[in-house]
Amino acid sequence: MEILGVMLAVLGAALAAGLAGSGSAIGVGIAGEAGAGIMTEDPGKFGLVLLLQALPGTQGIYGLLTAFFAILKVGLLGGEAIEVSVWQGLGVFFACLPIAIAGYYSGIAQGKTSAACIQLIAKRPEETGKAVILPAMVETYAVLALLMSIILLNSIKL
Amino acid sequence: MAVTKFKKASLVLLGEVEEEVISILQSMACCEILPETAEAKTHSWAEVIKSTDEALSDVRFLLRFLEPYFMEESGKLERLLGEKPTFTMEELEGTAKNTDLASLSAKVRKVERRLLEIRTTFSKIESNEGILRKLEGFPYSLSIISSGTSRISSVVGTLPVVYLEKFKDAVQELLATDGEVFVASFGPKETDATVVLMYDKERANQVGEICEKVPFTKLDFPGELKDTPEEELSKLEQAKDKLAKEEESLRKEASMLASEWVPTLRKLLDYYSVVRTRYETLIGTARTQKTSFIRFWVPEASVGRLKKELAKFEECIELKLEDPDESDQPPTLLENPRWALPFEPLTRLYGAPKYGEIDPTVPMAPFMFLFFGMCLGDGGYGILVASAIIYLLSKYKIVGDTRNFLNLLLLGAFSTIAVGALTGSWMGDMVDAFPFLALLQPIKEKLAVLNPMSDPITFLGISLALGVIQILFGLFIAFWDSLRKKDYMAAFGDNGGWISLIVGLLLLGGVKSGFLSGFSAGLLGKMLSILGAVVLIATQGREKSGLFRKLLSGVLSLYNITSYLGDILSYSRLLALGLATSAIAMIVNTLTTLVISIPFIGWVLSIIIFVGGHLFSVVVNTLGAFIHSLRLQYVEFFSKFYSGGGKIFQPLEYKTRYVKIVGNNLLDQ
Repeated sequence: MEILGVMLAVLGAALAAGLAGSGSAIGVGIAGEAGAGIMTEDPGKFGLVLLLQALPGTQGIYGLLTAFFAILKVGLLGGEAIEVSVWQGLGVFFACLPIAIAGYYSGIAQGKTSAACIQLIAKRPEETGKAVILPAMVETYAVLALLMSIILLNSIKL
Repeated sequence: MAVTKFKKASLVLLGEVEEEVISILQSMACCEILPETAEAKTHSWAEVIKSTDEALSDVRFLLRFLEPYFMEESGKLERLLGEKPTFTMEELEGTAKNTDLASLSAKVRKVERRLLEIRTTFSKIESNEGILRKLEGFPYSLSIISSGTSRISSVVGTLPVVYLEKFKDAVQELLATDGEVFVASFGPKETDATVVLMYDKERANQVGEICEKVPFTKLDFPGELKDTPEEELSKLEQAKDKLAKEEESLRKEASMLASEWVPTLRKLLDYYSVVRTRYETLIGTARTQKTSFIRFWVPEASVGRLKKELAKFEECIELKLEDPDESDQPPTLLENPRWALPFEPLTRLYGAPKYGEIDPTVPMAPFMFLFFGMCLGDGGYGILVASAIIYLLSKYKIVGDTRNFLNLLLLGAFSTIAVGALTGSWMGDMVDAFPFLALLQPIKEKLAVLNPMSDPITFLGISLALGVIQILFGLFIAFWDSLRKKDYMAAFGDNGGWISLIVGLLLLGGVKSGFLSGFSAGLLGKMLSILGAVVLIATQGREKSGLFRKLLSGVLSLYNITSYLGDILSYSRLLALGLATSAIAMIVNTLTTLVISIPFIGWVLSIIIFVGGHLFSVVVNTLGAFIHSLRLQYVEFFSKFYSGGGKIFQPLEYKTRYVKIVGNNLLDQ
C-alpha cells in the first residue's frame, strides 16, 4: 500500500471534517449568542430559538459525512486494504475541498443570518416561516458543495 | 384552490338589541368587523369595558402570582397538545358572577406583600450578619458603636492591612489613652481589615485627622445591633428561623389558593377577554341616538346561517349584503380539500394569498410530499417518524394547526418509506451491515430499483427533471392565472415566452446529448426556443419608451435564463440530502459493527451508538428534509406565480387560551 496516497486522502478527510465543523461551530455560536439574548426577555421562545440555532449545524455534519466517505474509500474503516496511488490520494484530497471550504464560510454566514432571524422572531413571532427559510438560503451552497464532494469521491476509481 | 368568496355586509340595529346581536355574531365566528371612522366614544359601554378591564387585570395578577404554585393535573405536553375543557358562555357567566374577585385578589395581594417584606428583611439580616462576622471577638457590647455612651463614641471602617501599623501609631500619637483600636481578625489573603476606633467624644477632631492620614473607609453601622456580636448573631439566627417558618406557611397558603382557584381563574381570564372583545366591537360601531351601524365581511357560505340566526330580530335590524368592489380589500379564508389541509399552514407561513388570487396549497402539496420523501429518503427513518407521530396523535387529542403539521410530517414519512424502499435504504445499509438481517436482503433487493449511492447521476437526473416539471408547472399556473385575469400580454409574453424557450432548449439539449432522437424533435426544439426568444425580446421591454430601449430590455431579459438554470440546479439538493441521510445512517452502522469487537463491553457500546446515532440522524435529517423541501416550494416554485400579501380572515369570535366555549344550543346544530 502506498502510504502517501492514503495520507493525502486522510488530509482531505481531516480538512472536510475540521473546516466544515469549525464553520458550523462558529455559526451555531453566533446564533446561540443572539438566542440567549432573546431568551432573557422571553424564555418561552426556547423551541424556536433552538431550531434556528441548529440550522448552521448541518455543515459540520456534511463535513463529517464527506470525511467518512473519504476514509471509507481508501479502506481505513475496516474491509480489505486497498491500493491507493499518490495520484488517487490527491484526487480524494481535492474531492474533499468543496465541502471543506464552502462548509466553513457558509456555516459562519448562516450563523449570522440565523442570529438576525432570531431577532426577527423575537419581534414578530408570527413570521417564523420566513425566519427559517432565510438561513436555509445560505445552506444551499453547502448542500451544493457536499453534492460536488460526493460526486467527485464517487467518480474516483480505486 | 381558489380563495373563498366574501360578501360585504352592512347591518343597522336598534340600540336595544345590539348587545344580543353582537353576542350572536361572536358565537358564530363568521364575521370580520370593519373598523368605523372613530367618533367620540362616550357611550355607556365604556363603563362596561372599564369594569371588565379591572376584572381582567385582577385575574391576570392572580394568575401570574398563583400559577407557579399550581400543580398541573395533567402533564405539560398534554395541556399544550390536548383538548381544552369545554364550557358554554352561560356557565362561564355563572362562574364570573359567583366569584368574588375583589376579596380574592385582596387576600392574595396581602400574601404577596408579606412574602416581599420577608424577602427584604431576609436580605437585611444577611447583610447585618456579614458585618457581625467581621466583628467577631469584639470585647464590648455593640451599643458602644451603634449609639455610644455619654462620653465615648466610635467609628467602624475598613483599612488596607498594610496601613494598620500607621493607623495604630497615629491613634497612639494623637489620642494616646483617650482612644482604643479594635482590629478584627483577618485571613492571610485578605487585603483589607475591619477596624473599630473608640474615642473620647471631645477628641472628635483628632479622629477626623487620623482617618484622613490613612485610606480609611467608613462603614454605616446598623443602629439595632446592641449586644456582643455573638449574641446578636444568635438573635438573627432565631429571627431567620421564624421568618423562614412564616414564609413556608405563606407559600403553603399560596399553593392552597392556587389549587383552589387557578382552574377558575383560567376560565375567568378567557371569559373576560371574550366579553371585552364583544364590548369593544359594540363601542366601535357608528351610532345615532337609537340605532347603531356595523359593516363586516362574511364568507358567502355562511350567509345563510347568518340570516337564519338573525331572523328573530327581523323587526329591529336591517341587513344588506353586497359583493366587494375594486376598492375593497376583503380578507382571505383558505378553503382546501381535506387531503391538502396538512399543507395549508405552509401557505399561511409564507403569507396568505390576496383576495381573488390563487391559493397555492393544492399545487404545492404533491411536490412537498414527494420532495420530503426524497430528502429524508430512508425507509427505516420513515417508519420511525411515522410511528412517533401516530403515537402522539392517538395519545393526545390534538387540534388545529399542530394537528395539520403532524399530519404533514406523517404524510412525509409515508413518502419517505416509499422512497426508501425504492432506493433500498433501510436505516442506511442496515440490512447488509448486520449478518443476522441477511434474511431480509431478498425483500430489500426486490423493492429497490435504484441505488443512489452507487449511481448518483441517475438520481441527480431524476431530481433535476422534477425541478423542470415543477418550474414549468409554476409557469403554467401563472399563464392560466393571467388568462383568467384577461391579461393576455402577461400570459403569452411573460409566461408563454419562457415556457416556449425552456421547453425548446430542453428538447434541443435532449437531442444533442442523445436522450432524444429524431429530426422532428430537434426541429421542434429549435422552433420553440426561437419562438420563445423572439416573444421575450418583443414583449419584455414593453414598459420602456422608444424602439431601441424596448429592444435592449427585451434582449437583456434573456439573461434571466440563468436564474431558471439556477432554479433547476437547486433541485440537486434532493439528491444531496437523500444521500446524506443514507450516508449518515451507514456511518452509524459502520461504527456499530466496529465497536462490537471490543471485548466485554462491545455490545453495550454498539447498542448505544446504534440507538443514539440513528436517533440523532433521524432528528437532524427530518429537520433538513422539511426545511429544504419547503424552500424549494417557497423560493423556486412560488416565485413563478404567487406573491402572498393577503390578510387572513379574523372573525369576531371566542378567542380563548385555556377553555373552549361552545354554544348552549349545541344539540340542534
